[in-house]
Amino acid sequence: MSRIRFGKYETICLLVNLISTQTFLGFPRTMVEIAGTAGWILVIYVYVLTLILFLFISKLYSHFEGKDLLDIAEIAGGGVARVVVGSIIVAYLVFAVSIILREFSENMKVISYDASPVSYISLFFLSGMVISAYIGLEALMRYSGIAVPIIVTGLIAIFIGVSPFIDLENLMPILGNGLYDIFVKGVLRVSTFSPLIILYLFNPFIGSNRNFRQAGVYGISIAFVLMLLCTSIYLSVYPYPFSLQSFLPVHTMARTISLGRFFQRLESVFMFIWVTNALIYLSSGFFLINYVFKKTFNLVYYKPLIIPFAIIILSISLLPDNLMSVLKLVNDYFRSYVWITTFPIPILVLIAARYRVRGKKGVKAR
Amino acid sequence: MIKRVFLVTVCAAFLLNFLTGCYDSREIDDWAYVIAIGMDKGKTHALKITLKFAVPKNIGGAESKGQGGGGGDGSTTDITLESPTLFSGLNMANNIISRQINLFHAKVIVFSKELAEDEIFERMITAFPRTINVRPEVFILVARDSAEEYVKGIQLQFEVNPTKFYELAYTTSHYTGFIAPITLRDFILRLKSYDRQPVGILAGVSRYKSSEDFDPQRTTNLEKGRAFPLEGDYFAGDIPKVSENKTEVMGLAVFDGARMVGELDGAETGLYLMVTGEFRSAYMTHPDPLVENSYVILNVNQGRKPVHSVKMSDGKPEISVKIMLEADIQVIQSGKNYESLEMKPLLQRTYEKFLEEGITRFLYKTSEEFHSDICGFGKSLKKRFLTWKEWEEFNWLSRYKDASFSVEVELKIRRPGLIIRTVPIKSSEE
Repeated sequence: MSRIRFGKYETICLLVNLISTQTFLGFPRTMVEIAGTAGWILVIYVYVLTLILFLFISKLYSHFEGKDLLDIAEIAGGGVARVVVGSIIVAYLVFAVSIILREFSENMKVISYDASPVSYISLFFLSGMVISAYIGLEALMRYSGIAVPIIVTGLIAIFIGVSPFIDLENLMPILGNGLYDIFVKGVLRVSTFSPLIILYLFNPFIGSNRNFRQAGVYGISIAFVLMLLCTSIYLSVYPYPFSLQSFLPVHTMARTISLGRFFQRLESVFMFIWVTNALIYLSSGFFLINYVFKKTFNLVYYKPLIIPFAIIILSISLLPDNLMSVLKLVNDYFRSYVWITTFPIPILVLIAARYRVRGKKGVKAR
Repeated sequence: MIKRVFLVTVCAAFLLNFLTGCYDSREIDDWAYVIAIGMDKGKTHALKITLKFAVPKNIGGAESKGQGGGGGDGSTTDITLESPTLFSGLNMANNIISRQINLFHAKVIVFSKELAEDEIFERMITAFPRTINVRPEVFILVARDSAEEYVKGIQLQFEVNPTKFYELAYTTSHYTGFIAPITLRDFILRLKSYDRQPVGILAGVSRYKSSEDFDPQRTTNLEKGRAFPLEGDYFAGDIPKVSENKTEVMGLAVFDGARMVGELDGAETGLYLMVTGEFRSAYMTHPDPLVENSYVILNVNQGRKPVHSVKMSDGKPEISVKIMLEADIQVIQSGKNYESLEMKPLLQRTYEKFLEEGITRFLYKTSEEFHSDICGFGKSLKKRFLTWKEWEEFNWLSRYKDASFSVEVELKIRRPGLIIRTVPIKSSEE
C-alpha cells in the first residue's frame, strides 16, 4: 500500500470533489439560512478561517513528513492514542458516508426515480462504492483526476446558463442577517471543509510536505471558488427569502436554464455531474473507512472488511425515518460539529506528538 | 482468471436485470402529455380544471398530410372536470383516460380572473413550485372570462405542433410589447418578494363573431384623455379582430400579493416593459405633430437599461425613472420631412412627451389604484439598507401607494428606413 504514490493533481481533484459535494446538496441554501443575503460573505469568511487553520496544521505536519494522522497519534500516545483517533475518524466517516448516501439517494428519488424505493437507489451507489473499494485507492485517485474537471466544467456550464437571470440587486441588503449571524453563528461552518481530513490520512501517498501543503491550499481554494460562485449566483438568481425554499439549489438553477427553444432541460447535465460527484465522494469515503479501520487495528488486509462495512453503512443510511430528518441531521448536527474531527483533534494530536518527540530527544541528549 | 470472468459475468447479469428492468419504467407512449392547464372556480368543488392534451399520432399525421394542425385536426384534445385541487383533479382524470397524465410538457397555466381575484388563488398557485412535474418556464395567464373557454378555444393556425404554438405565442412581446412573457418562475419569485409584485399575461376569447360586431367603445383611449384609439388601447378579448383562432392575449393582470387587483391594456404593458428594461422592439404609432389625422410610426427599441432612483421624503417614496430609447422611422403618412436634421428633434420631442405622459399615468395607476410595485422599484431602495431585518421592518410594499414619480424619456431617432428624404405627392388639384 505504501508504495502507491499519486500526485498533487489527483489529490487536489479528490479534495475539490469531496468539498464541493455539498454544493450539489443544500450548501447554498444553508449559507442563506445562516446569513440571509450575505450568504456569499459567509463563504468567504469560512474559507479564510479554514485556510488559516490548514496552514497552521501543515506547519505542525512539517515535522512528520510521510506520516499519516494515525502514525502521528501513535507517536503521541502509543497504540491507545492510535486506536482512539482511528476510531473517532472511522465513526465520523461511517456517519458521513451513511448520511450522504441516504441524502443522495433521497434526492435522486425526488428528482428522477420517484417510483423506485430509496433502498433500491442506495444499492446502486453502494455497488459502486464496493467495487471501487475492491479496485483500490490508486484507481479512485486516477478516476478523480479525469472526472473532476468534467464535473467542474458541468457546474460552470450551469452557472453560465443561468447567467441571464442574475440580478446583483438580489444580494442586497449587503449584511443580510447581520454581523453576528455571519461571523459568530457562521463560524461552525468551517465544517464545510471537513473533507480535508483525507489529506492527513493520505499524507504517506502524497510525498513531500510541500505537496501536502500545496494540495491542501489549492484544493481548498478551488472548492471555495466553486462554492462562492454557486452561493452568490444562486442568491442573485433566486432572491431572498425565496432562496430559503429550494431543496436542491443547483438543480433548481439547472431547471431554470432555457436558452431559446433549443437549449432547455439542462438538468440532465446536472444529473450526470451530480451522480459522478456523489459516487467519487461515497467511494473515497468508503475506501477510507476500510483503510483507517485496518490501520487502526493493525490488520493485514482491508478487503474482508468491505462487505461488512457496506452492510453497516446501508443499514445506518436507512435508519432516519424521512428526508426531513436526514436534512436535520446533516445541517443541525453533522455540518455543525464535524469540524472537531478535522481541526481540533489533528491539532491536539500533532502538538502532543511534537512534545513527545522533543521530550524523547531531550532525554537522549541528557 | 476464471474467478474474474465469473465475477464480471455475475455483475453484468445483475446490471442487465436491474438497469433495464421494467419495475418503474414508463414508455413515452404510456403518458398523456398535457400542454395547457386551465383553472376556474368550480360549482361542485373549489376548482374547475381544463386540461389540453397533445395527441402525438395526429401531430405526425397532420405534418405528413401537409395540414395546418390545430385542434380541429385532432392534434389536441381537452377534458374538463371539477376537483378540490389540481392534483386531485389529475387523479380523477387519470381514472378516466387510458394513459397516465404527465405535466412535463405543459406550456401554459391559465387562471380565470374570478379565481385570481379570490383568496383561494394563493392555495392554487403555491402548489406548483413544489412539484418536479411542472417546469418553471410555463407561462402564467389570467383569462378575463373563463379559463376553460380560453384553453378550449385555442386553434393552431400556423403550427403543426401545438407545443410550438404555445412556445411562440407568449413571446410575441419581443416584437409587439403588448404582453410580458411572465413564467411560473417570475410569478412565484415576485409572489415571495419584498420588493416587487407579480403580474400575469392577460388572456381572453374574442367577443366578436364578425367584423360587423366591432364595438368602438371597448377601448381605453378615453380614460387616457385621447379621442382616438391606438393599437395598444385594448384588453384581451376586446381587440377588433375576427379570425379562426378566437383566443388572444393583450395586457397584464396586476397582483397585490396573491390577489389580482387590476388590469393593464396592451399599450400600458409596453410602458411597463420600458420601465422594467424588458422592452425589445415594437412599432409605435403617434399622431403627426404638424398634420391632423395623420400618423407617424416608429420602430422603437430600448437603447439602454432604464435608470431608477428612489428616495424617501417625509416617509413617502419619490421615484425617478429615466428611459433611453432608440427608434427607426417606419412610416410618415403626412409626407413631412421628419428625416431632416432640422425636423427630427420635433418628432423626437413629441414622442418623448407622449411616452413621459403615458408612463407617468401608468405608474400612478400602479401606485394609487393598484398599490402594487410591479416594476420593482423596491430593488433600487433595498441597497440602502444594511440588514434584512431593517428592510423587512421598512415594509416597502405598504409604502408604495404613496409614491410620486418623475419620468424622463430620451428617444433618439437613429435611422430613417430606406427613405432618406420624403418628397411630397403631387396631384392636379395643387
